[in-house]
Amino acid sequence: MAAVPFLPKNAPFTAEDIDVLNQLVQRSTPLQRSWLSGFLAGLDAAQAQGLAQPVPAARPRLPLTLLYGSESGNAEGLALKAKKVAAKQNFDARVVDMGDTDVAALKTAKNLVVYISTWGEGDPPQRAADFYKALMADDAPRLDGLRYAVLALGDTAYVNFCQTGRLIDARLEALGATRAADRIDLDLDYAKHAAAWTERTLEKLAPAETSATVVHVDFKTAGTSDDADEPQFTAENPLEAGINALINLNGTGSTRETWHVELAVGDTGFGYKPGDAIGIYPENDPELAAKLAGAVGLGGDALVKKLTQAHDITTLSRATVDAYAKLTGRKDVAKLLEEGELARFAADRQLVDLFEAFPEKLETEQLLKLLRPLPGRLYSVASSLKAHPGEAHLLVGAVRWTSHGKPRKGVTSTYLADRCKIGSTVKTYFKPNKHFGLPADASRPIIMIGAGTGVAPYRGFIEERAETGASGKSWLFFGERNFTYDFLYQLEWQDHLASGALSRIDVAFSRDQPEKIYVQTRLWERRAELLRWLDEGAYVYVCGDEKGMAKDVDATLAKILAEPAKGDQEAGRAKLKELTKAGRYQRDVY
Amino acid sequence: MTDKRAKNEFLKEESRYLRGTIAEGLSHVETGAIAEDDTQLLKFHGSYMQDDRDIRAERSKKKLEKAFSFMIRLRLPGGVVSPEQWIKLDDIAGTYANGTLRITTRATFQYHGIIKSNLRRSMQAINAACLDTIAACGDVNRNVICAANPHLSPVHKQANDLARAVSDHLLPKTSAYHEIWLEGEKVVESGGEAKDDVEPLYGKHYLPRKFKTVVAVPPLNDVDIFAHDLGYIAIVEKGKLAGWNVTVGGGMGMTHGETDTFPRTADILGFCTPEQAVTVAEKVMLVQRDWGNRELRKNARLKYTIERYGIDKFRDEVESRLGYKLGPHRPFKFTSLGDPLGWRQGPDKKWHLGLWIENGRVKDVPGHHLRTALREIAKAGGVEFILTGNQGLVIANASAKQKAKVDSVLAEQGVAIETTSGLRRNSMACVALPTCGLALAESERFLPELITALEETLESAGLRDDDIVIRMTGCPNGCARPYLAEIGLVGRAPGLYNLYLGAAFDGTRLNKLYAQDVGKARILELVEPLIRRYAKERSEGEHFGDFVIRIGAVRPTTAGNTFHANITLV
Ligand code: SRM
Ligand SMILES: Cc1cc2nc3c(=O)[nH]c(=O)nc-3n(C[C@H](O)[C@H](O)[C@H](O)COP(=O)(O)OP(=O)(O)OC[C@H]3O[C@@H](n4cnc5c(N)ncnc54)[C@H](O)[C@@H]3O)c2cc1C
Ligand SMILES: Cc1cc2nc3c(=O)[nH]c(=O)nc-3n(C[C@H](O)[C@H](O)[C@H](O)COP(=O)(O)O)c2cc1C
Ligand code: SF4
Repeated sequence: MAAVPFLPKNAPFTAEDIDVLNQLVQRSTPLQRSWLSGFLAGLDAAQAQGLAQPVPAARPRLPLTLLYGSESGNAEGLALKAKKVAAKQNFDARVVDMGDTDVAALKTAKNLVVYISTWGEGDPPQRAADFYKALMADDAPRLDGLRYAVLALGDTAYVNFCQTGRLIDARLEALGATRAADRIDLDLDYAKHAAAWTERTLEKLAPAETSATVVHVDFKTAGTSDDADEPQFTAENPLEAGINALINLNGTGSTRETWHVELAVGDTGFGYKPGDAIGIYPENDPELAAKLAGAVGLGGDALVKKLTQAHDITTLSRATVDAYAKLTGRKDVAKLLEEGELARFAADRQLVDLFEAFPEKLETEQLLKLLRPLPGRLYSVASSLKAHPGEAHLLVGAVRWTSHGKPRKGVTSTYLADRCKIGSTVKTYFKPNKHFGLPADASRPIIMIGAGTGVAPYRGFIEERAETGASGKSWLFFGERNFTYDFLYQLEWQDHLASGALSRIDVAFSRDQPEKIYVQTRLWERRAELLRWLDEGAYVYVCGDEKGMAKDVDATLAKILAEPAKGDQEAGRAKLKELTKAGRYQRDVY
Repeated sequence: MTDKRAKNEFLKEESRYLRGTIAEGLSHVETGAIAEDDTQLLKFHGSYMQDDRDIRAERSKKKLEKAFSFMIRLRLPGGVVSPEQWIKLDDIAGTYANGTLRITTRATFQYHGIIKSNLRRSMQAINAACLDTIAACGDVNRNVICAANPHLSPVHKQANDLARAVSDHLLPKTSAYHEIWLEGEKVVESGGEAKDDVEPLYGKHYLPRKFKTVVAVPPLNDVDIFAHDLGYIAIVEKGKLAGWNVTVGGGMGMTHGETDTFPRTADILGFCTPEQAVTVAEKVMLVQRDWGNRELRKNARLKYTIERYGIDKFRDEVESRLGYKLGPHRPFKFTSLGDPLGWRQGPDKKWHLGLWIENGRVKDVPGHHLRTALREIAKAGGVEFILTGNQGLVIANASAKQKAKVDSVLAEQGVAIETTSGLRRNSMACVALPTCGLALAESERFLPELITALEETLESAGLRDDDIVIRMTGCPNGCARPYLAEIGLVGRAPGLYNLYLGAAFDGTRLNKLYAQDVGKARILELVEPLIRRYAKERSEGEHFGDFVIRIGAVRPTTAGNTFHANITLV
């Protein structure tokens, strides 16, 4: 520590103070010292007029681009958090959505940190798709001189874990940029690891010489909480919500099982808006937990309880298989990790199948180490706080299927359907969605397209518009299997139609007649009218199952938009892109 | 006067010849229902709006409206269906309806459970089978029924032809049916009504109430001739059709606790020649059109018109409109109400199978694949299907080879030709729950088990094979003609029935109330001793209905207007 000189004895402080200061200065980092000097420099001025005039930094602050590609807002949230940290480390940081920029902008960026998630089957988030394509294209610009790092978000439950992040990381290097810090791939429990990685990465990006410069301190924000604008109940800090109502909306005779759940979320009600989502932390089926433990020669109430409440015991991920192979040293398990093998084996299998197929005796600790924390599941809010103060309603489709001779159950949906009762409490957290919500302009027409549980947010939309007396027209396209048994919220839609809160409805029930009718069938039938609504500035929303519906709806919309251009599909696609950029084509698909 | 007319009279008047807003109603996709007023008009098109009463309770809790669906009733005068038609009709049952075909007590088919979005498709499919549903319901002359097998004799053929002739002649002429169901989407702008729409016979108001016509060939009273507004009894002399005895003013429906409503056996109006028959039908209907009560629907059927004016005044009016007098009615003899079951050979050596079908419900149940069997028989072709007024079926006109095929198919599919008892063979139950909106109690879903319970007694009394007519309905409307059954059960409330006894086996005499509000156990308690006694004390050839009167269990009902008189409850 010789590098740091001591305060001389003749410094204008008492001996005690000089000791304290010396101790402090000695253990301080260059950055802390720069900050301190800036702080002291501004202090008197601040006291003089109540508020400090920022003192110019002795050196220009470093440019930093925090670039994110995000679907449900996780990566975006991390980028915004990083901005606050960067500000303290003398960065002049801009947070940029891949959806609003192009690759060329990176040429001048100098310092870049990428926060990117993976969707679909290894695809980039939809708003990031164009940027991603351009970056991967042969004509992408060289990026020599750019220093960067990538944080990848993903879910080990998917085969292509963090694929988009991995590919972007490699591509930036290929284009001549310099990796300033190693990429990190994060699972659903990303939050705790992300903050530390960002700190470390920014340290690496901040070149040594800035260490002695004076850091300007903004007294307006100094000391105010970083998270003031953050939702109060997060995945890390869930809210115990009581269940006020729990109804299977499908009538006797249905082949479906869709639960309307009313949660008591307190006066604040997360302050959600229609379009946001709420997360539920489930509990596993105790029977399955016992079965899983048994499969590796373990048992006992304590362990089963732990497995039920805290661990993901269903997902069969590469990570788990890899760990199990190493732990057991089994060649046959290791074989599963070879090219294509896992995809084949894991297809509609679960962890218990792995244990049963390759049985080994494990210690409790070994088992627990194999398991990731039990992740929550998101559900679109199906209500408006204005219509139901203190409540958030969800619409949950029970997931049940049979594979490899075993009946299987979706963890969260059947936790709610089978084991929760009215009066039970569930762990919930808030998941705002900036990119799915009513137009600010209440006079804009809205076209809402959804099948099955995809109708959930629209119940919130229409309730909200009814409560606020919004003047805009609204048109709902709803699809399910059978009219008689599966018309979710039928009576409410009828009331909204009668009151005018909902202007129009079209329905598509696939199993009521010999030929299949889906929402996209109806969209196409109504194309002329739809185009008219779009000319009037309508917003288009699509919510629900990606594979089952959203893909086809997207294609049909493009086809419809191609009509005015004499069926030119490219033009249709382009128009749909425009709408997306303008925020008039919003999707919430899962 | 006008303001005192029944609501339905205004509906008909303003309906633009039965259009109303039915077409608009079909285009409202958020509901499975149509407008209340339109449901009244829809009947004229052969369809009723209903809802699944089994699941009513849960619906609103699940934020769902009632489970609405539609019943469709075919117009099938004479009841004859070709194999090709059978297959098409069976397809509709599987594709759009609840997987069953329902043979009614008036010898036609009903579909149940057709949802609104499939209603027009179903109508078009029926049309594609060269059939329709016009006037199968509503205030018009309904489907004309005649169970006579046209292959048995020229007279039977003439009877069957008459049924079709009368039905066609009295058919409404409005183009609304074609426009709404067959032309498809086109919705007539309100107020507009197709130019050529005039109803020469009916006028804007149609009839005051439903009007039912039947044709019978003695000795079989297999259509319950005395239960209908208008009936024709074939008079055969020297093996030829001499003409018809005409009956008028029969009906079953009544309302619990309203003694001015009652079932009534028809009067014989007189005799007409074969040539006169259709005109007679027209004139009888027109007198009812003009004389029938249009203020009180409960009192609007022809039976009440005749009670009010007397049969002679009524006859005078009919004859003055005919311009000639009807002859005095000729002697005839009925022996039974039921259908002759099993195989029998006609004069042309062709084979005909009388098949009893439980409550007329053609469906597949484990071990008993009736629907499949009949479909296969239709696929094999050659034969003809004739529906009967006892919810039964005749597989007619089979060669010896086809007969063998029919037998093997039935055997394969577990369909027995013999019934388990004479009581079951002579049983009928109306539809009632879950589809019928008027049902007060179970019927179709309850009678079979009640009969099973009674069969033990019959067995021990040695009466298993004796014919005893038992009929049940879920409400007093009498759709299975329970008041003409030796044992009649009429629903009053869930699980509770009124028990009527003493009707004539040949359908000429109504029964009488014997016990009120009795449940299954009590019914057995009351009926079993009578059956045992009947086994011991009956005289040669005496029927159960006559026996219970002889032993004084009930007094005979000599006319409809004394149905509620001389009642002594046990
Ligand atoms: C299907 C059938 C019973 C069966 O098990 O086969 C039937 C079923 C119904 N009848 Fe009937 N009636 C049926 C033969 C009868 C008969 C028997 C007959 O005509 O030989 C009668 C007694 C004779 C008579 O007309 O008096 C009969 C007297 C009624 C009445 C009472 C009419 C009256 O004037 O008192 C009603 C109620 C009404 O019309 O207001 C009625 C009404 C009904 C309705 C449409 C209920 C309604 O109005 O909402 C029932 C539909 C139930 C369902 O879910 O299918 N049905 N109905 C019969 C269809 C006959 C056909 O093909 O046209
Ligand atoms: C932003 C967002 C909003 C959402 N909103 C809603 C909503 O409003 N309502 C709603 O119901 N859901 C919604 N979801 C989906 C929801 O989050 C859960 O994914 C869903 O409820 C299943 O969770 P689970 O725990 O019950 O099933 P899990 O235990 O997670 O099991 C689901 C997994 O099981 C497997 N699987 C499922 N079915 C089969 C099958 N037939 N064959 C083989 N494998 C199968 C698949 O791998 C699937 O991923 C939303 C998702 C997101 C991301
Ligand atoms: C429908 C769907 C598909 C997903 N597909 C993948 C995938 O293929 N690979 C992966 O690693 N993660 C996948 N994920 C997980 C997300 O990447 C993860 O939830 C991430 O935290 C989302 O971050 P974001 O909100 O910034 O988009 C998927 C999630 C959903 C809901
Ligand atoms: S008798 Fe009554 S319950 Fe039975 S079908 Fe007729 S109306 Fe319905």
